[in-house]
Formats: sequence, structure tokens, C-alpha cells
Amino acid sequence: MAELTAFHFHPGASLLHTLDVRFKILSFVLISISSLKAYPLSLSILTLVIFYAILISYLPFKSILKELRYFFVLLVFIFIARAIFTPESPVADLKQSVVAWQGIYSGALVCWRLLLVVLLGLIFVSTTKPSDIRIAVEWFLTPFPFIPGKRVATMMSLIMRFVPLILDQARETVDAQRSRGVENRKNPVYRLIKLIIPLMIRTFEKADKLAVAMEARCYSEKRTNKALSSNRSDWITLFGIICLSILLVNN
Amino acid sequence: MNIIEVTNLSHRFPDGTIGIEDITLSIREGEFIVIAGRNGSGKTTFLRHLNGLLLPDTGAVRLAGVPVSRDIPRARQMVGMVFQDADSQIVGETVFDDVAFGPENLCLNECEVKRRVIKSLKAVGLIDIADQRPHLLSGGEKRRLAVAGILAMESRVLVFDEPFSDLDYPGVRQILHQALSLHKAGHTILIATHDLEKVIAHADRLLIMSDGKVIMDNAPEVIIKDVEAFGVREPCASRLGMEIESWLN
Ligand SMILES: Nc1ncnc2c1ncn2[C@@H]1O[C@H](COP(=O)(O)OP(=O)(O)O)[C@@H](O)[C@H]1O
Ligand SMILES: [Mg+2]
Repeated sequence: MAELTAFHFHPGASLLHTLDVRFKILSFVLISISSLKAYPLSLSILTLVIFYAILISYLPFKSILKELRYFFVLLVFIFIARAIFTPESPVADLKQSVVAWQGIYSGALVCWRLLLVVLLGLIFVSTTKPSDIRIAVEWFLTPFPFIPGKRVATMMSLIMRFVPLILDQARETVDAQRSRGVENRKNPVYRLIKLIIPLMIRTFEKADKLAVAMEARCYSEKRTNKALSSNRSDWITLFGIICLSILLVNN
Repeated sequence: MNIIEVTNLSHRFPDGTIGIEDITLSIREGEFIVIAGRNGSGKTTFLRHLNGLLLPDTGAVRLAGVPVSRDIPRARQMVGMVFQDADSQIVGETVFDDVAFGPENLCLNECEVKRRVIKSLKAVGLIDIADQRPHLLSGGEKRRLAVAGILAMESRVLVFDEPFSDLDYPGVRQILHQALSLHKAGHTILIATHDLEKVIAHADRLLIMSDGKVIMDNAPEVIIKDVEAFGVREPCASRLGMEIESWLN
């Protein structure tokens, strides 16, 4: 269960692992936004770049594909919806089971873009230490006077830490209730409530214990922070990424 | 030199439950103490006063002469605590980050943090999985991670609250081994448990708690025959009149 999410850090020493987090976040945002405007030619280029990135960062490609299988199901749905409901092929055509080529084209395009953005996110999360992401978030939030950057960053990292615990807990609760015959109850609302309430209670208990444990280890907002440092390869990468985004938007 | 001095310590919870009542004792540096008693006898409540997680209604705890309430951060640094629930005391997303959490809170510089983390991870034998995500570890490894977390703060006193609960045999041995080697290295060790069997062979001193009070306080061999009246099982070997063997053999 703990393995459920594909989105986690894979230790390594590749170029992508060593880039400065801030540059990685910037690049991620830039490419994600510009890929929404991109068309097949530039999307193909981007796809190649992404596969290259996966290759050089030694990510376990097969297991990533396996863990993304639910996402592919989602993509299929999006594709079908797009293919049918694109303006050029109104619902009326459906009766004669005609789906216009425009629909298929636009469906495929949307799915392609989404897939690339998800792969990008995956590469980012897989090659970046969670603690570094936290520090970078703090760094980006510092200029805003009314946002408590440190606190936001700590909360973020605690949430990331808590998700697997909550999932484990949920499964345990489901199993316990199944073994006592909850499936005989046909009302899904009843079953949902019976699941959610104990789950919430346990989660709050865990959060409480975690707070005490943090206190016992002297937690306060004044603490050592790792300094972020950028070097030439970061700037070169960013330059490359900007060129790529311009290409994506202007094809 | 007494590292911990407890005088007339009492704590009552807001709902009126008596947690602990009038505890007075002192602990010398380097002692290995086991605190036993049935569930609800006040072990956890007592231990939480040692690092200021709970503050007393009456009485005081002094650490090397300084009252806990006067300098709570110092108390937290001096007395490291391993909690019963191994999962919910993990703060970091990787083993390394989790151990670094304490030293970072002490505002040490980055080099020092790194040095301490590596040293502590080596001490508990987890250095090879420093980049692993903590919740993938086994029960014994999670507790060792918690130990590394307090070692990195260079605590002189290590407190284990029910360290053996839900651990398998290898897990128990790992933790026991860890506690013993830390004791050898000069740390003062306190272990709260209701299960004497696993650890009593190594203790210098046994405290029996009941209803929030310390009922007995003596060398284990002196009082081990009388513990059953207080909801603690007398170890098998002792019942049979034999010498108690370590779980490590
Ligand atoms: N937060 C709390 N609020 C009220 N009562 C509590 C609280 N924590 C513990 N107690 C009570 O204090 C007593 C001692 O508990 P505890 O120190 O946890 O015992 P032990 O650790 O020996 O099992 C018990 O009667 C328990 O019910
Ligand atoms: Mg307890």
C-alpha cells in the first residue's frame, strides 16, 4: 500500500538530481504552460526531450508505467469525451456512429498534452528530495509579506508524509469492516460514513502524536535551513527550457 | 552526580484523572532503569515530565541541577524520547531528513547537522538506507530511526516508552542491542514497559508504578518476586528459580 503512489523521490546522482530545485520548479511551470499551446510537431519534440530526461535520470520506467495505469484509464475517458463532443462532430452524428476526424484529433491532442505534463511532474518529483521542494517553496514565498512561508512549507511536507499513513489506515479500516460483514449493507452512504468517521478520528490521533513528537524534538520556526545554490548548469538548463517553451508556443 | 532529580512530582489531568502522585526519586548518570506497571499506572505521564512535554501541578524535575520548567528547550535536548507509536513520530520524508529534524531545530549549521546525522545513522546501522522513505521500514528499523533522531541531538538521557510493543523477535533484539550499546557509551537509559521478560536481565534498577505512584524502587533481583501484585508478570526464569537470561543470547 505504501507503494501506491508513483510520485515519490528516487535517489540518484544524475544531472536532473543535481539541478537547483528552484530552476526545476520554474522549468516545470514554463513547459507545462507552453505545452498547452503546442501542436503535434512541437509536442513530438517535447516528447523526445522528456524520454531523454527519463533515460538520463535512470528512473524505473516500467514500474512508472505500471503505476500510471489508472491515469491511462482517465486519459481514455477524456479521449472518448473529446472525440464525441468536439463541435465539428455534434451528438447527432453519433446516431450514424460517425465521429469526425476533428474530434479524434483534438481528443488525441488533449490526451497527449496531459500525459506529457504528468510525466514532467513525475520526473520533477522523482528527482527532487522532498525537503528541497519544501525549502524552495519557502524561498518562493518569502517575498510575499502576508504568507508565513516557513509554516506553509512545513505543512506541505507533513501532508506529503501523512498521505501514505492515511491510505494505510483507510485500507485497514475497510478490511476490518469487511470482515464484520459491512458488505451486506447495500447503502453506500452508510458505508461511507462508517468508513470516514473512524478514519478521521484515527488521523487526528496520529496528527496529535506527531505534534507531541515534534515538540519533543525541539520544533520551532527558528531552525537551520539548507541554503540553495545555483551554478552555471542551472542557468544553461533554464535557458534551454525557455527556448523550448518559445518553440512550443510558436509552432 | 544525579542527572535527574524528581521531588514530590504530581500531575492531575484537566478532567480530574490523577496521572502521577507525589513521586520523589533521583537518577544517577549512566544508570539503566526499567519502569514497570500495568496500563494506566502513570509511566507515560511520568516520563513526559522529564522533558517538559507535561508540566507538574506540584513538585519539580531537575536535570543536572536546573529545573525543567526554567529551560524547556534544554530539557528536550538533554532527554531524548522514543515514543510507543513508531509511525507517528517520523517527521521527515526520508530517513536522512527525519534524523536531521532535531539538529535543524537546534539551529546548528548545515555541516554540523550533516555530521551528526551521518554519525547517528551509523550508530544505529541505517546509514545504507539514508535516502529510503521511512514508512517502508520494518518495525524494528522505525524504532532505530527514532533512536537515531535523538542521538543526533546528543541527548544524555534516552527514554523509551514501551519500545517492544508490536515488535517481532528480531525487532526486540535490535532495540535491546541498541539500548545496551548506548548504555555502554555512557547514556542514561530509562525504559517503560509492562513486559519485564525482555529487558530486565540488563537493568541496574527496577521501578514499579501503580496508580500514579512509585511503589517499589530497588535492584531487580531484590523485588522481582513481588511484582505480580502490581499487574506485571514475573519473568519465567525467575518463577522457576533460575537466573534470568538476556534476550540477546
Ligand atoms: N490526556 C489525558 N487526559 C486525561 N487522562 C489521561 C490522559 N493521559 C493519561 N491519562 C490517564 O492517566 C493515567 C496514567 O496514564 P499513562 O501515564 O498513560 O499510563 P501508562 O503509560 O502507565 O499506561 C491513566 O489513568 C490515564 O487514563
Ligand atoms: Mg504508556
